[in-house]
Amino acid sequence: MIFSQIFDMVNVGIVILDKDYNVFKWNRWLEARSKIPSEKIIGKSIFEFFPELNKSWFHRSFKTVMSFGNFSFFSQKLHSYFFPFKASNALDSKFEYMQQSCTMGPIRDKNNAIEYVYIMVQDVTEIAAYEQKLVELNTEDGLTGIYNRRYLEKKIEEEFARHQRYARPFSVVMADIDFFKKINDTYGHQCGDFVLQEFTKTISASIRKVDIFARYGGEEFCLLLPETPGKAAELVAENLRDIVEKSSYRYGDTDIRFTVSLGISELSDGVESAKELLTRADMALYKAKKSGRNKVVLH
Amino acid sequence: MTLFSDEEKDILQEVMNIAFGNATADLAEVIDIFVVLTVPQIQVMKISELPTYFEKNIHGFERIWKLDQEFWGDFSGSGFLIFPEQIGKSLVELFGTGDLDPTENNPFDSLEKEILLEVGNILVGACVGKIAELLDTRVTYSPPIASQGECSNFARLVENYDSDQTAIIMKTVFEFENHNISGLLFFITSQDSIEWLKKSLYDYLESFDE
Repeated sequence: MIFSQIFDMVNVGIVILDKDYNVFKWNRWLEARSKIPSEKIIGKSIFEFFPELNKSWFHRSFKTVMSFGNFSFFSQKLHSYFFPFKASNALDSKFEYMQQSCTMGPIRDKNNAIEYVYIMVQDVTEIAAYEQKLVELNTEDGLTGIYNRRYLEKKIEEEFARHQRYARPFSVVMADIDFFKKINDTYGHQCGDFVLQEFTKTISASIRKVDIFARYGGEEFCLLLPETPGKAAELVAENLRDIVEKSSYRYGDTDIRFTVSLGISELSDGVESAKELLTRADMALYKAKKSGRNKVVLH
Repeated sequence: MTLFSDEEKDILQEVMNIAFGNATADLAEVIDIFVVLTVPQIQVMKISELPTYFEKNIHGFERIWKLDQEFWGDFSGSGFLIFPEQIGKSLVELFGTGDLDPTENNPFDSLEKEILLEVGNILVGACVGKIAELLDTRVTYSPPIASQGECSNFARLVENYDSDQTAIIMKTVFEFENHNISGLLFFITSQDSIEWLKKSLYDYLESFDE
Protein backbone atom coordinates (compact mmCIF):
# COMPACT_ATOMS: atom_id res chain seq x y z
CA MET A 1 0.00 0.00 0.00
CA ILE A 2 2.63 2.52 1.11
CA PHE A 3 5.05 1.36 -1.55
CA SER A 4 2.56 1.48 -4.34
CA GLN A 5 1.82 5.10 -3.40
CA ILE A 6 5.51 5.94 -3.47
CA PHE A 7 5.83 4.10 -6.78
CA ASP A 8 3.45 6.64 -8.26
CA MET A 9 4.83 9.67 -6.42
CA VAL A 10 8.55 9.55 -7.15
CA ASN A 11 10.06 11.89 -9.66
CA VAL A 12 11.52 9.11 -11.76
CA GLY A 13 9.98 6.82 -14.31
CA ILE A 14 9.70 3.18 -13.27
CA VAL A 15 8.65 0.39 -15.55
CA ILE A 16 8.75 -3.28 -14.62
CA LEU A 17 8.99 -5.90 -17.35
CA ASP A 18 8.55 -9.65 -17.19
CA LYS A 19 10.89 -12.16 -18.85
CA ASP A 20 9.16 -11.73 -22.19
CA TYR A 21 9.40 -7.94 -22.27
CA ASN A 22 5.75 -7.49 -21.30
CA VAL A 23 4.97 -4.50 -19.11
CA PHE A 24 4.05 -5.51 -15.59
CA LYS A 25 4.03 -2.07 -13.94
CA TRP A 26 4.06 1.43 -15.39
CA ASN A 27 4.20 4.29 -12.94
CA ARG A 28 2.50 7.67 -12.96
CA TRP A 29 5.63 9.53 -14.02
CA LEU A 30 5.75 7.44 -17.19
CA GLU A 31 2.01 7.78 -17.75
CA ALA A 32 2.33 11.55 -17.62
CA ARG A 33 5.33 11.79 -19.98
CA SER A 34 4.32 9.11 -22.46
CA LYS A 35 0.58 9.90 -22.43
CA ILE A 36 0.09 6.14 -22.25
CA PRO A 37 -2.15 5.12 -19.34
CA SER A 38 -0.97 2.08 -17.42
CA GLU A 39 -4.12 0.08 -18.16
CA LYS A 40 -3.35 0.37 -21.84
CA ILE A 41 0.25 -0.79 -21.68
CA ILE A 42 0.19 -3.38 -18.89
CA GLY A 43 0.33 -6.91 -20.22
CA LYS A 44 1.57 -5.75 -23.60
CA SER A 45 5.07 -6.00 -24.99
CA ILE A 46 7.11 -2.85 -24.42
CA PHE A 47 8.22 -3.04 -28.06
CA GLU A 48 4.65 -2.59 -29.23
CA PHE A 49 4.75 0.94 -27.81
CA PHE A 50 8.46 1.63 -28.12
CA PRO A 51 9.76 -0.27 -31.16
CA GLU A 52 13.01 1.72 -30.99
CA LEU A 53 13.95 -0.34 -27.92
CA ASN A 54 13.88 -3.54 -29.93
CA LYS A 55 17.60 -3.37 -30.57
CA SER A 56 20.58 -5.54 -29.82
CA TRP A 57 21.98 -3.31 -27.07
CA PHE A 58 18.65 -3.43 -25.24
CA HIS A 59 18.39 -7.21 -25.54
CA ARG A 60 22.01 -7.55 -24.47
CA SER A 61 21.41 -5.57 -21.29
CA PHE A 62 18.12 -7.27 -20.56
CA LYS A 63 19.72 -10.69 -20.91
CA THR A 64 22.66 -9.62 -18.76
CA VAL A 65 20.33 -8.56 -15.96
CA MET A 66 18.28 -11.75 -16.32
CA SER A 67 21.32 -14.05 -16.37
CA PHE A 68 23.69 -12.40 -13.93
CA GLY A 69 21.35 -10.44 -11.72
CA ASN A 70 23.51 -7.35 -12.08
CA PHE A 71 22.53 -3.87 -13.10
CA SER A 72 22.90 -2.09 -16.38
CA PHE A 73 23.51 1.62 -16.51
CA PHE A 74 22.61 3.68 -19.53
CA SER A 75 24.14 7.06 -19.53
CA GLN A 76 22.64 9.92 -21.44
CA LYS A 77 25.98 10.40 -23.20
CA LEU A 78 25.69 7.19 -25.11
CA HIS A 79 21.99 6.63 -25.50
CA SER A 80 20.58 10.15 -25.16
CA TYR A 81 17.27 8.63 -24.19
CA PHE A 82 15.35 5.38 -23.83
CA PHE A 83 11.84 6.62 -24.31
CA PRO A 84 11.18 9.39 -26.82
CA PHE A 85 9.40 11.94 -24.64
CA LYS A 86 9.28 15.56 -25.75
CA ALA A 87 11.69 17.74 -23.81
CA SER A 88 9.56 20.17 -21.88
CA ASN A 89 11.60 21.79 -19.17
CA ALA A 90 14.56 23.01 -21.15
CA LEU A 91 13.16 25.53 -23.58
CA ASP A 92 16.46 26.90 -24.79
CA SER A 93 18.22 23.62 -25.26
CA LYS A 94 18.81 21.95 -28.57
CA PHE A 95 17.26 18.73 -27.42
CA GLU A 96 14.05 17.70 -29.04
CA TYR A 97 13.64 14.77 -26.68
CA MET A 98 14.05 14.52 -22.95
CA GLN A 99 17.58 13.34 -22.16
CA GLN A 100 17.51 10.34 -19.90
CA SER A 101 19.82 8.44 -17.65
CA CYS A 102 18.48 4.94 -17.07
CA THR A 103 19.19 1.97 -14.85
CA MET A 104 18.05 -1.59 -15.38
CA GLY A 105 18.10 -4.22 -12.64
CA PRO A 106 16.64 -7.47 -11.38
CA ILE A 107 13.59 -8.05 -9.18
CA ARG A 108 13.56 -11.41 -7.48
CA ASP A 109 10.86 -13.62 -6.03
CA LYS A 110 11.15 -15.13 -2.56
CA ASN A 111 13.16 -18.05 -3.93
CA ASN A 112 15.74 -15.59 -5.18
CA ALA A 113 14.93 -16.27 -8.81
CA ILE A 114 14.81 -13.30 -11.13
CA GLU A 115 11.21 -12.80 -12.13
CA TYR A 116 11.16 -9.24 -13.42
CA VAL A 117 13.43 -6.52 -14.65
CA TYR A 118 12.92 -2.90 -13.70
CA ILE A 119 13.99 0.16 -15.64
CA MET A 120 14.32 3.50 -13.90
CA VAL A 121 14.30 6.64 -15.99
CA GLN A 122 15.73 9.93 -14.82
CA ASP A 123 15.26 13.20 -16.66
CA VAL A 124 18.72 14.75 -17.15
CA THR A 125 17.88 17.18 -19.94
CA GLU A 126 18.90 20.20 -17.93
CA ILE A 127 22.29 18.77 -16.98
CA ALA A 128 22.92 17.64 -20.55
CA ALA A 129 22.07 21.12 -21.81
CA TYR A 130 24.54 22.72 -19.39
CA GLU A 131 27.16 20.24 -20.43
CA GLN A 132 26.62 20.97 -24.08
CA LYS A 133 26.88 24.68 -23.37
CA LEU A 134 30.15 24.14 -21.53
CA VAL A 135 31.62 22.17 -24.41
CA GLU A 136 30.60 24.94 -26.80
CA LEU A 137 32.11 27.65 -24.62
CA ASN A 138 35.28 25.69 -24.41
CA THR A 139 35.75 24.92 -28.08
CA GLU A 140 33.95 27.63 -30.02
CA ASP A 141 34.91 31.14 -30.94
CA GLY A 142 32.20 33.40 -29.59
CA LEU A 143 32.03 35.79 -32.55
CA THR A 144 32.20 33.43 -35.51
CA GLY A 145 30.99 30.13 -34.09
CA ILE A 146 33.90 28.21 -35.59
CA TYR A 147 36.47 26.47 -33.40
CA ASN A 148 38.62 28.58 -31.11
CA ARG A 149 42.37 28.59 -30.69
CA ARG A 150 42.30 26.36 -27.64
CA TYR A 151 40.53 23.62 -29.58
CA LEU A 152 42.80 24.08 -32.57
CA GLU A 153 45.92 23.68 -30.48
CA LYS A 154 44.61 20.47 -29.01
CA LYS A 155 43.48 19.16 -32.37
CA ILE A 156 46.69 19.96 -34.22
CA GLU A 157 48.68 17.98 -31.66
CA GLU A 158 46.36 14.98 -32.09
CA GLU A 159 46.31 15.15 -35.87
CA PHE A 160 50.04 15.67 -36.02
CA ALA A 161 50.68 12.58 -33.90
CA ARG A 162 48.19 10.49 -35.87
CA HIS A 163 49.51 11.44 -39.29
CA GLN A 164 53.08 11.00 -38.21
CA ARG A 165 52.34 7.57 -36.76
CA TYR A 166 50.72 6.31 -39.92
CA ALA A 167 52.99 8.33 -42.23
CA ARG A 168 50.00 10.05 -43.84
CA PRO A 169 50.03 13.43 -45.59
CA PHE A 170 48.81 16.35 -43.48
CA SER A 171 48.75 20.08 -44.24
CA VAL A 172 48.11 23.25 -42.30
CA VAL A 173 46.89 26.50 -43.81
CA MET A 174 47.19 29.87 -42.10
CA ALA A 175 44.95 32.59 -43.52
CA ASP A 176 44.86 36.31 -42.84
CA ILE A 177 42.35 38.81 -44.19
CA ASP A 178 44.19 41.53 -46.15
CA PHE A 179 43.99 45.12 -44.91
CA PHE A 180 41.55 44.17 -42.20
CA LYS A 181 42.59 47.19 -40.15
CA LYS A 182 41.45 49.39 -43.00
CA ILE A 183 37.98 47.83 -42.93
CA ASN A 184 37.76 48.51 -39.22
CA ASP A 185 39.00 52.07 -39.61
CA THR A 186 36.75 52.86 -42.57
CA TYR A 187 33.48 51.20 -41.60
CA GLY A 188 33.84 50.67 -37.84
CA HIS A 189 34.48 47.66 -35.68
CA GLN A 190 30.98 46.30 -36.04
CA CYS A 191 31.55 46.03 -39.73
CA GLY A 192 34.86 44.34 -38.98
CA ASP A 193 32.98 41.76 -36.92
CA PHE A 194 30.54 41.33 -39.77
CA VAL A 195 33.39 40.69 -42.18
CA LEU A 196 34.90 38.07 -39.86
CA GLN A 197 31.55 36.32 -39.62
CA GLU A 198 30.91 36.37 -43.35
CA PHE A 199 34.44 35.26 -44.11
CA THR A 200 34.11 32.20 -41.82
CA LYS A 201 30.74 31.34 -43.39
CA THR A 202 32.27 31.47 -46.86
CA ILE A 203 35.22 29.30 -45.91
CA SER A 204 33.16 26.82 -43.86
CA ALA A 205 30.89 26.25 -46.85
CA SER A 206 33.86 25.44 -49.09
CA ILE A 207 35.80 22.89 -47.03
CA ARG A 208 35.34 19.20 -46.23
CA LYS A 209 33.66 17.93 -43.09
CA VAL A 210 36.90 16.43 -41.79
CA ASP A 211 38.79 19.69 -42.10
CA ILE A 212 39.15 21.74 -38.95
CA PHE A 213 38.70 25.46 -39.33
CA ALA A 214 39.49 27.70 -36.39
CA ARG A 215 39.95 31.35 -35.54
CA TYR A 216 43.54 31.74 -34.46
CA GLY A 217 43.22 35.29 -33.26
CA GLY A 218 42.13 38.68 -34.64
CA GLU A 219 41.72 38.29 -38.38
CA GLU A 220 43.97 35.26 -38.54
CA PHE A 221 42.55 31.79 -39.18
CA CYS A 222 43.90 28.29 -39.32
CA LEU A 223 42.74 25.33 -41.36
CA LEU A 224 43.84 21.74 -40.71
CA LEU A 225 43.66 19.46 -43.72
CA PRO A 226 43.94 15.79 -42.75
CA GLU A 227 45.12 13.30 -45.37
CA THR A 228 46.15 16.13 -47.66
CA PRO A 229 49.62 16.64 -49.16
CA GLY A 230 51.01 20.17 -49.60
CA LYS A 231 50.34 20.32 -53.34
CA ALA A 232 46.66 19.45 -52.86
CA ALA A 233 46.45 21.90 -49.96
CA GLU A 234 47.78 24.55 -52.33
CA LEU A 235 44.84 23.90 -54.67
CA VAL A 236 42.41 24.08 -51.76
CA ALA A 237 43.92 27.35 -50.59
CA GLU A 238 43.96 28.80 -54.09
CA ASN A 239 40.30 27.92 -54.45
CA LEU A 240 39.48 29.62 -51.15
CA ARG A 241 41.48 32.69 -52.11
CA ASP A 242 39.59 32.86 -55.40
CA ILE A 243 36.17 32.50 -53.74
CA VAL A 244 36.94 35.26 -51.26
CA GLU A 245 38.25 37.56 -53.95
CA LYS A 246 35.08 37.11 -55.99
CA SER A 247 32.69 37.50 -53.08
CA SER A 248 31.04 40.72 -52.12
CA TYR A 249 29.29 41.32 -48.82
CA ARG A 250 26.53 43.81 -48.23
CA TYR A 251 26.90 45.76 -45.01
CA GLY A 252 24.17 48.38 -44.63
CA ASP A 253 24.26 50.09 -47.98
CA THR A 254 27.91 49.41 -48.74
CA ASP A 255 29.31 46.51 -50.71
CA ILE A 256 32.42 45.26 -49.04
CA ARG A 257 35.06 43.30 -50.86
CA PHE A 258 38.31 42.03 -49.51
CA THR A 259 41.01 39.46 -50.18
CA VAL A 260 42.89 36.92 -48.16
CA SER A 261 46.49 35.70 -48.01
CA LEU A 262 47.26 32.09 -47.23
CA GLY A 263 50.39 30.22 -46.13
CA ILE A 264 50.70 26.45 -46.22
CA SER A 265 52.96 23.93 -44.57
CA GLU A 266 52.91 20.16 -44.87
CA LEU A 267 54.02 17.38 -42.63
CA SER A 268 57.41 16.20 -43.91
CA ASP A 269 60.50 14.52 -42.51
CA GLY A 270 62.04 17.66 -41.12
CA VAL A 271 59.00 18.72 -39.13
CA GLU A 272 59.44 17.67 -35.52
CA SER A 273 56.35 19.04 -33.86
CA ALA A 274 52.88 20.42 -34.40
CA LYS A 275 54.20 23.77 -33.29
CA GLU A 276 56.82 23.72 -36.00
CA LEU A 277 54.19 22.94 -38.60
CA LEU A 278 52.24 25.96 -37.45
CA THR A 279 55.33 28.16 -37.49
CA ARG A 280 56.11 27.08 -41.06
CA ALA A 281 52.59 27.91 -42.21
CA ASP A 282 52.95 31.27 -40.51
CA MET A 283 56.24 31.90 -42.31
CA ALA A 284 54.60 31.05 -45.64
CA LEU A 285 51.76 33.42 -44.80
CA TYR A 286 54.30 36.14 -44.07
CA LYS A 287 55.82 35.57 -47.51
CA ALA A 288 52.39 35.79 -49.15
CA LYS A 289 51.83 39.11 -47.40
CA LYS A 290 55.29 40.42 -48.24
CA SER A 291 54.96 39.60 -51.92
CA GLY A 292 51.79 41.57 -52.44
CA ARG A 293 48.89 39.86 -50.60
CA ASN A 294 45.90 38.01 -52.09
CA LYS A 295 48.29 35.10 -52.60
CA VAL A 296 48.93 31.50 -51.66
CA VAL A 297 52.44 30.41 -50.63
CA LEU A 298 53.53 26.86 -49.88
CA HIS A 299 56.43 26.60 -47.45
CA MET B 1 43.81 -11.08 11.78
CA THR B 2 41.70 -13.32 9.65
CA LEU B 3 43.60 -15.50 7.28
CA PHE B 4 42.63 -18.05 4.76
CA SER B 5 43.78 -21.61 5.30
CA ASP B 6 45.06 -23.60 2.35
CA GLU B 7 41.92 -25.68 2.38
CA GLU B 8 39.74 -22.57 2.24
CA LYS B 9 41.79 -21.26 -0.61
CA ASP B 10 41.31 -24.53 -2.45
CA ILE B 11 37.55 -24.39 -2.08
CA LEU B 12 37.51 -20.78 -3.18
CA GLN B 13 39.63 -21.69 -6.15
CA GLU B 14 37.14 -24.39 -7.03
CA VAL B 15 34.16 -22.04 -6.63
CA MET B 16 35.88 -19.49 -8.82
CA ASN B 17 36.62 -22.07 -11.49
CA ILE B 18 33.00 -23.11 -11.65
CA ALA B 19 31.69 -19.55 -11.41
CA PHE B 20 33.93 -18.30 -14.21
CA GLY B 21 33.07 -21.33 -16.28
CA ASN B 22 29.38 -20.52 -15.92
CA ALA B 23 30.08 -16.88 -16.62
CA THR B 24 31.85 -17.80 -19.87
CA ALA B 25 28.91 -19.87 -21.04
CA ASP B 26 26.36 -17.18 -20.22
CA LEU B 27 28.49 -14.39 -21.64
CA ALA B 28 28.61 -16.18 -24.98
CA GLU B 29 24.82 -16.25 -24.93
CA VAL B 30 24.36 -12.68 -23.76
CA ILE B 31 26.89 -10.83 -25.89
CA ASP B 32 27.31 -13.36 -28.68
CA ILE B 33 31.04 -13.44 -28.19
CA PHE B 34 33.08 -16.17 -26.64
CA VAL B 35 35.06 -14.72 -23.77
CA VAL B 36 38.02 -16.77 -22.65
CA LEU B 37 38.67 -16.40 -18.93
CA THR B 38 41.87 -17.95 -17.62
CA VAL B 39 41.83 -20.00 -14.43
CA PRO B 40 41.64 -17.40 -11.70
CA GLN B 41 44.63 -16.91 -9.45
CA ILE B 42 43.84 -16.31 -5.84
CA GLN B 43 46.03 -14.50 -3.38
CA VAL B 44 45.49 -13.15 0.09
CA MET B 45 47.32 -9.98 1.00
CA LYS B 46 47.15 -6.68 2.80
CA ILE B 47 45.67 -3.71 1.00
CA SER B 48 49.00 -1.92 1.44
CA GLU B 49 50.67 -4.61 -0.66
CA LEU B 50 48.27 -4.15 -3.53
CA PRO B 51 50.02 -1.36 -5.45
CA THR B 52 53.16 -3.49 -5.72
CA TYR B 53 51.05 -6.44 -6.72
CA PHE B 54 49.38 -4.45 -9.49
CA GLU B 55 52.70 -3.13 -10.66
CA LYS B 56 53.98 -6.67 -11.02
CA ASN B 57 50.89 -7.92 -12.78
CA ILE B 58 50.18 -5.09 -15.13
CA HIS B 59 53.20 -4.63 -17.28
CA GLY B 60 53.73 -4.05 -20.92
CA PHE B 61 50.90 -1.52 -21.00
CA GLU B 62 51.92 2.09 -21.32
CA ARG B 63 48.56 3.74 -20.96
CA ILE B 64 45.54 1.96 -19.68
CA TRP B 65 41.80 2.13 -19.37
CA LYS B 66 40.78 1.28 -15.86
CA LEU B 67 37.29 0.48 -14.80
CA ASP B 68 36.20 -0.19 -11.28
CA GLN B 69 32.92 -1.20 -9.88
CA GLU B 70 31.92 -1.80 -6.29
CA PHE B 71 29.60 -4.54 -5.26
CA TRP B 72 28.12 -5.15 -1.89
CA GLY B 73 25.97 -7.54 0.09
CA ASP B 74 27.27 -10.50 2.09
CA PHE B 75 29.94 -10.71 -0.56
CA SER B 76 31.41 -7.27 -1.06
CA GLY B 77 34.39 -5.64 -2.67
CA SER B 78 35.45 -4.19 -5.99
CA GLY B 79 36.06 -5.41 -9.46
CA PHE B 80 38.85 -3.85 -11.53
CA LEU B 81 39.12 -4.21 -15.23
CA ILE B 82 42.30 -3.12 -16.96
CA PHE B 83 42.74 -2.77 -20.71
CA PRO B 84 45.62 -1.31 -22.67
CA GLU B 85 44.36 2.07 -23.89
CA GLN B 86 44.46 1.32 -27.61
CA ILE B 87 42.01 -1.53 -27.19
CA GLY B 88 39.18 0.97 -26.70
CA LYS B 89 38.80 1.47 -30.43
CA SER B 90 38.44 -2.24 -31.09
CA LEU B 91 35.78 -2.41 -28.40
CA VAL B 92 33.82 0.33 -30.10
CA GLU B 93 34.02 -1.60 -33.36
CA LEU B 94 32.90 -4.76 -31.65
CA PHE B 95 30.08 -3.40 -29.54
CA GLY B 96 29.30 0.01 -30.87
CA THR B 97 28.30 -0.77 -34.41
CA GLY B 98 24.83 -1.29 -35.65
CA ASP B 99 22.26 0.18 -33.37
CA LEU B 100 24.29 2.88 -31.71
CA ASP B 101 24.55 6.07 -33.56
CA PRO B 102 27.61 8.12 -32.67
CA THR B 103 25.93 11.45 -33.29
CA GLU B 104 27.65 14.75 -32.98
CA ASN B 105 26.78 14.83 -29.31
CA ASN B 106 28.91 11.76 -28.92
CA PRO B 107 32.50 12.40 -29.81
CA PHE B 108 34.52 9.24 -30.20
CA ASP B 109 36.30 9.61 -26.87
CA SER B 110 33.14 9.55 -24.85
CA LEU B 111 31.72 6.75 -26.98
CA GLU B 112 34.79 4.70 -26.20
CA LYS B 113 34.32 5.32 -22.52
CA GLU B 114 30.65 4.45 -22.54
CA ILE B 115 31.24 1.22 -24.43
CA LEU B 116 33.93 0.34 -21.94
CA LEU B 117 31.50 0.98 -19.09
CA GLU B 118 28.93 -1.27 -20.67
CA VAL B 119 31.36 -4.09 -21.41
CA GLY B 120 32.99 -3.78 -18.00
CA ASN B 121 29.65 -3.82 -16.27
CA ILE B 122 28.77 -7.04 -18.05
CA LEU B 123 32.12 -8.74 -17.32
CA VAL B 124 32.22 -7.76 -13.64
CA GLY B 125 28.52 -8.57 -13.25
CA ALA B 126 28.93 -11.97 -14.88
CA CYS B 127 31.82 -13.05 -12.68
CA VAL B 128 30.56 -11.61 -9.39
CA GLY B 129 27.01 -12.69 -10.15
CA LYS B 130 28.06 -16.28 -10.72
CA ILE B 131 30.16 -16.42 -7.54
CA ALA B 132 27.19 -15.02 -5.59
CA GLU B 133 24.87 -17.53 -7.18
CA LEU B 134 27.06 -20.46 -6.18
CA LEU B 135 27.36 -19.16 -2.66
CA ASP B 136 23.64 -18.54 -2.49
CA THR B 137 23.63 -14.82 -1.89
CA ARG B 138 22.78 -11.59 -3.69
CA VAL B 139 24.85 -8.56 -4.48
CA THR B 140 24.11 -5.01 -5.45
CA TYR B 141 26.36 -2.95 -7.69
CA SER B 142 27.32 0.66 -7.93
CA PRO B 143 27.67 2.11 -11.42
CA PRO B 144 31.12 1.41 -12.87
CA ILE B 145 33.64 4.22 -13.15
CA ALA B 146 36.05 4.35 -16.06
CA SER B 147 39.21 6.38 -16.27
CA GLN B 148 42.23 6.36 -18.50
CA GLY B 149 45.78 7.35 -17.92
CA GLU B 150 49.34 6.31 -17.51
CA CYS B 151 49.97 2.94 -16.09
CA SER B 152 51.51 4.02 -12.84
CA ASN B 153 50.48 5.23 -9.44
CA PHE B 154 48.62 2.13 -8.43
CA ALA B 155 48.35 3.45 -4.91
CA ARG B 156 45.41 5.47 -6.14
CA LEU B 157 43.52 2.33 -7.04
CA VAL B 158 43.21 1.36 -3.43
CA GLU B 159 43.20 4.69 -1.64
CA ASN B 160 39.58 4.19 -0.59
CA TYR B 161 40.49 1.11 1.39
CA ASP B 162 41.99 0.82 4.83
CA SER B 163 45.58 -0.18 4.17
CA ASP B 164 45.65 -2.56 7.16
CA GLN B 165 42.79 -4.62 5.86
CA THR B 166 43.21 -7.98 4.30
CA ALA B 167 41.96 -8.56 0.83
CA ILE B 168 41.47 -11.60 -1.31
CA ILE B 169 42.66 -10.91 -4.80
CA MET B 170 41.37 -12.89 -7.68
CA LYS B 171 43.01 -12.31 -11.01
CA THR B 172 41.97 -13.54 -14.40
CA VAL B 173 43.06 -12.71 -17.90
CA PHE B 174 40.20 -12.48 -20.32
CA GLU B 175 40.16 -12.42 -24.04
CA PHE B 176 37.42 -11.87 -26.57
CA GLU B 177 38.06 -14.83 -28.82
CA ASN B 178 39.01 -13.99 -32.41
CA HIS B 179 38.99 -10.27 -31.67
CA ASN B 180 42.46 -9.71 -30.29
CA ILE B 181 41.11 -7.88 -27.28
CA SER B 182 42.36 -8.88 -23.89
CA GLY B 183 42.79 -7.41 -20.47
CA LEU B 184 43.00 -8.16 -16.79
CA LEU B 185 40.21 -8.55 -14.32
CA PHE B 186 40.83 -8.34 -10.59
CA PHE B 187 38.45 -8.70 -7.72
CA ILE B 188 39.25 -7.43 -4.28
CA THR B 189 37.12 -8.89 -1.55
CA SER B 190 36.70 -6.60 1.40
CA GLN B 191 37.64 -7.74 4.86
CA ASP B 192 34.06 -7.43 6.06
CA SER B 193 32.98 -10.29 3.89
CA ILE B 194 35.82 -12.65 4.64
CA GLU B 195 34.10 -14.29 7.63
CA TRP B 196 30.96 -14.73 5.60
CA LEU B 197 32.94 -16.07 2.66
CA LYS B 198 34.66 -18.70 4.80
CA LYS B 199 31.36 -19.90 6.16
CA SER B 200 29.65 -20.07 2.83
CA LEU B 201 32.56 -21.91 1.30
CA TYR B 202 32.08 -24.67 3.84
CA ASP B 203 28.31 -24.55 3.32
CA TYR B 204 28.95 -24.93 -0.35
CA LEU B 205 31.18 -27.91 0.25
CA GLU B 206 28.60 -29.52 2.52
CA SER B 207 25.88 -29.16 -0.05
CA PHE B 208 27.66 -31.91 -1.97
CA ASP B 209 27.82 -34.26 1.04
CA GLU B 210 24.09 -34.57 1.45
